[in-house]
Amino acid sequence: MEKFILPDIPNLHNIDVYEQHGGYQALRKALQMKPDEVIDEVKKSGLRGRGGACFPTGLKWSFMPKGNDKAKYLCVNGDESEPGTFKDRQIFEFNPHVMIEGIIIGCYAMGIPTAYIYIRGEYRKWIKMVDQALADAYAKGYIGENILGSGFSTNVYTHSGAGAYICGEESALMNSIEGERGYPRVKPPFPAQKGVFGMPTTINNVETMSNVPLIINKGAEWYSKIGVAKHPGPILVGISGHVNKPGVYEVPTGVTLLTLINEYAGGVPNGKKIKAVIPGGSSTMILRGENLEGICMDADSLKAAGSSVGTAGLMVMDEDTDLVRVLSRISHFYHHESCGQCTPCREGTGWLEKMLHRFEHYEARTEDIDMLENVANHIEGNTICALGDAAAWPVQSFVRRFRDEFEKRVKQENTVAA
Amino acid sequence: MPNVKVTLDGIQYEVDNKKTIIEAARENGVSIPHFCYHEKLSVSGNCRMCLVEVEKMPKLAIACMTQVADGMVVHTRNERVINAREAVMEFILINHPLDCPICDEAGECKLQDYSYKYSTGFSRFVEDKVHKPKRVEIGPRVMLDTERCIMCSRCIRFCDEIAGVHQLEFTQRGDRTELTTFPGEKLDNPYSMNVVDICPVGALTNKDFRFKSRVWEMSFTESVCTGCARGCNIEIGVRNNEILRLNPRKNDDVNSVWMCDHGRMDTWKNVNADTRIKSPKIRKDGVLVEVGWDEAIAKVASELKSFNRSEIAVLGSAMASNEDNYIFAKFAKEVLGTRNIDFARHHVGADDNVLIRADKTPNASGAEEVGVAPHDGGMSFEQIISAIKAGKIKALYSLEDDLATIPGVAEALDQLEFFAVHATNHCKTTEHADVILAASTYAEKNGTWTNFQHRVQRIRPAVTTLEQDRALDNFKMSRWDKFAAHNDKWGKGPRRDSRPSWKIVASVAGALGAKFKYNNADDVFNEICQKVESFKGLSYLKVGMKGAVLKKQTVVA
Repeated sequence: MEKFILPDIPNLHNIDVYEQHGGYQALRKALQMKPDEVIDEVKKSGLRGRGGACFPTGLKWSFMPKGNDKAKYLCVNGDESEPGTFKDRQIFEFNPHVMIEGIIIGCYAMGIPTAYIYIRGEYRKWIKMVDQALADAYAKGYIGENILGSGFSTNVYTHSGAGAYICGEESALMNSIEGERGYPRVKPPFPAQKGVFGMPTTINNVETMSNVPLIINKGAEWYSKIGVAKHPGPILVGISGHVNKPGVYEVPTGVTLLTLINEYAGGVPNGKKIKAVIPGGSSTMILRGENLEGICMDADSLKAAGSSVGTAGLMVMDEDTDLVRVLSRISHFYHHESCGQCTPCREGTGWLEKMLHRFEHYEARTEDIDMLENVANHIEGNTICALGDAAAWPVQSFVRRFRDEFEKRVKQENTVAA
Repeated sequence: MPNVKVTLDGIQYEVDNKKTIIEAARENGVSIPHFCYHEKLSVSGNCRMCLVEVEKMPKLAIACMTQVADGMVVHTRNERVINAREAVMEFILINHPLDCPICDEAGECKLQDYSYKYSTGFSRFVEDKVHKPKRVEIGPRVMLDTERCIMCSRCIRFCDEIAGVHQLEFTQRGDRTELTTFPGEKLDNPYSMNVVDICPVGALTNKDFRFKSRVWEMSFTESVCTGCARGCNIEIGVRNNEILRLNPRKNDDVNSVWMCDHGRMDTWKNVNADTRIKSPKIRKDGVLVEVGWDEAIAKVASELKSFNRSEIAVLGSAMASNEDNYIFAKFAKEVLGTRNIDFARHHVGADDNVLIRADKTPNASGAEEVGVAPHDGGMSFEQIISAIKAGKIKALYSLEDDLATIPGVAEALDQLEFFAVHATNHCKTTEHADVILAASTYAEKNGTWTNFQHRVQRIRPAVTTLEQDRALDNFKMSRWDKFAAHNDKWGKGPRRDSRPSWKIVASVAGALGAKFKYNNADDVFNEICQKVESFKGLSYLKVGMKGAVLKKQTVVA
C-alpha cells in the first residue's frame, strides 16, 4: 500500500522536498474552505485519535466554542512515553511538516491562534528537528501572521516535557504547559470548556494531526475507504520484541497482527512460537499467542479480542519469555510513573510491583495470584485519570490469561520426609 | 436559587442545584467520608474516599466534585460503594505507619476514626512500607512526619488560598511523594498552624503541643481569642487545670475556621506561667507582700477615700471584659465621682486581609461601649498621663493592662502617690503598684468581648481558680476531671486565688459604702443590657456560641 504519513522519500523533513511532493497544498485548500467545512470534512473522514482512546477527531474539534473573541489553544501530544510506543518519533524525524501542516489546518478549523507541540523531554534531538521545521514553515509564511494572505494567523511552539509519562495524559499535559506540577485534572470540566490557562483547548496526538492534510487533499470520502470502515486510515504500528525486523510500519487499519509480525516484521527469530503479544503499548491487555488468528490492528477487532489498539505499539514475546518478569517490569514502570495524586494509583501501583517482585523471586504465596488481580481491580475505574487503568489492565490480563505462569512462581514449601 | 430533586440512599431531597453531592448530603444529614475535601478550600478530588454511585454514570463518582442534577439518584452506602471505600482505606493504610499509640493525632484523627468506621480491620499487605523523612521541622511552629502524610493536599491549598503564600508543595512522584517547602524556605506564614488543624492525620503537628497530652485527657471550652480585635472563636484545651493549646472554632461571621499563629501561641501562656499573681499583694516597706482579699480591698478603699475626686483617675482596659469595664465605669461615676476615665489603646502595624487586626486588644470597642471613656470634660488617657506628671492626678486605679510598656508611662506611674492595679501576671506595671489585685485571666471567667465588628462574644472559664469548682460551676470536664481519685496526681493542677475584675471592683465599691450586688457575670451582663442602649435585648443566651452584633447607637444610659 502507498504510504502517506511516512512515505519513502529521502529528506522529506526538508521543507523544499516536502513542498515538491505536494506539501502545504492541503493548507492552501483548507484556507479556501470555511472553518466548519474543514471540521465536517474531518468528521466525515472517520479519523479517530491515534493517542490510544480512538476518539473521533472531527467530533472533538466540534466541541470547541466558535469564534475568535477569546483565547483558545491546540495542544499536540508528542509525549509518547509508553513502553512499546515509538511512532511519533518517526514523524518528528522523517516527516515533521505533515504534522505541522495538519496543526495549522486544525487551528484554522477551530479558530485557534496558538498551538503547542508537547514533546517528551528525552526527545531532545527530535525537539530540535521539529523546531527547525517550524522555523522553516514560519519563513515560508505557513505559520505566523496572515497565513498565505488568508487573514488567518496562528503561532506554533514546541514545549519540552521533563521526563514524566503522566504528562502525556492530556490534562497533566496542560498543567505542565502552564508550569504546574504534572497532575491530571478532575474532569469535568473538559478541555474544550476549560483547558490550558483556563481556556478552551483541544488536545490531539501527533499522528492524528499528521492524518489531516491527507484528508483535506484527497477528501473525506477517499480517506474513509482506507482500512476498516469504523476506524479508517493509515496507522503507524511500532513493532518490537522478538521479531526479526522491529520498527515502525505504516499500514491501513485492519491488517492482522500475524501479518504485521510475520510479513512486515519478518517473523519471530529462530522460528520460535509466539507466546504472547501486547498489541497497543504496555497498558493494553496481553493476548495469548495461540489465539491471534484473525485479530486485526483496529479498534473493534482488538476490543472483541479483549484488548485495545492503544497506540499500536505491538510487542511480541516468544515461547521462552518470562511473562512474570515482563509484568514485573511493566508494573515497575507504572509505579515509577504514577504521579501520586490520587490514592488508588499512588498506593496500588507500588503494591503491585512489590507483589510481582515476590513472584519474580519465587517468594509469592498462592493467594497472591488472586490478590494481584484484586488489587488491580481496586485501582481500575477509581482514579482521576487513566494511568490507574493502564496500570491495572496488564496485571488483570496477565493473571487471567497466563495464570499458569504465576502458579509456577509460588514459593515451594520443603516437603519433610516421613 | 433553583432547587433540584436528588435521591440519596432512597430518600428524596430538594437541594440547591449549585451544590455538590457531598454538600447536599451534608446539609441533609448524610455524611460521606472524605479526607481531601474541606468546606473552606478548593476541591482537589484526590483521596477518592468520597466515591459514591450515581445511577446512569458508568464509574463511581467523587461526591466532592460532582454537582447535583435534577433526578439524580445517589447511593452512598451500597455494596459497590462500600467495596470501593474499603479499597481506598486499604490503599491509604498500606504505607501509613500504624503508630497511633505514639501519634499526637490519635483521638482526633480522621484516618483513625475512618479505620474503625469504614475499613475491614484487616490488612493483606505483607510488603515493606515506603520510608520517608520523619521529624521534619517544616516551619518554626509545625513539625512534619512525611510517612504519616496521605497526600490530601489540604495544607498546600490552605497556604495558597487562605494564607495567600505558596509555601508548601509535593515533590517526587507516586508513593514516594513528599510534602515539602521550597529549598531554603520554611512554613512560617502567620497562619501556618492551621495546617495542623486541617491535616486529617498526624503528619503535621503543633510543635508547641506535641507529646504534651492525649486529646482525650483534655477538656475543651468554647471561648474567644484575646490576640487582637478580631476575636477569633476558639476552644481552650485544658488538662490538670493547665492550658495546653488553643484551637480555632468555626464562626463564619468572624474567623471562618481559622486563627493566626500569634493568637494560638502567645495569648495564653501567661495563664499557666510562674509570673501569675496568685493572690492580692500590698506594698509594705517598699516590698510587695501577699495579703488576703479583705485587707487588699480595704487598703484600696481607704487610699482612694484619702484623695480629692479631682486628684483621682481610673483606667479601664481593652484586655478586660465588657462586664469588668462596665462595673469599673459605674464605680468611677457613682462611687468615686471622677470623670477622668479612659483606657489605653494598643495598635501595632496594620490590619492584614485575612484575620489579623492592628488593634492588639480583644475588647477596645466594648470598653468604650460600656462607658470607659472620658466624659463631661474628663481627661483622656494621654491627658491623664500628663496630669500625673504635672502632679495634678495623684491616685490611679487601673484594670489589667501592662501600661508601663507604653512609652513615657512608667515615669508617670512612679510619680503617683497611690497606684492600684488589677493584674493577672507580674509585669512592668506591677513593679510600680502599691496594691496589686489578683485578676482572673480570660480563661478563668465568664464574660464577653466586643470585637471590631461590634460583635459581642462569650468567654467561658476553662481553668479553675480557688473560688470556683469544676463540677459545681459547670466547667467542661476532661476524663481526668471526672474520674481522677483524690490520691491521684492528675487533676491537681495549680489554682490561683484570683477573681474576675468586675467582682474585685464591686468589693471595693462595697468597702466604700456602695451597694454593688451581683452574684455572677450574668447579673452584670443583664444590667449592661438594661443600661446600655446598644446592648438592649441581649443576654448570654442570645450571645450564644456565635456572638451577637450590637445595635448601632452608642448611648450610655
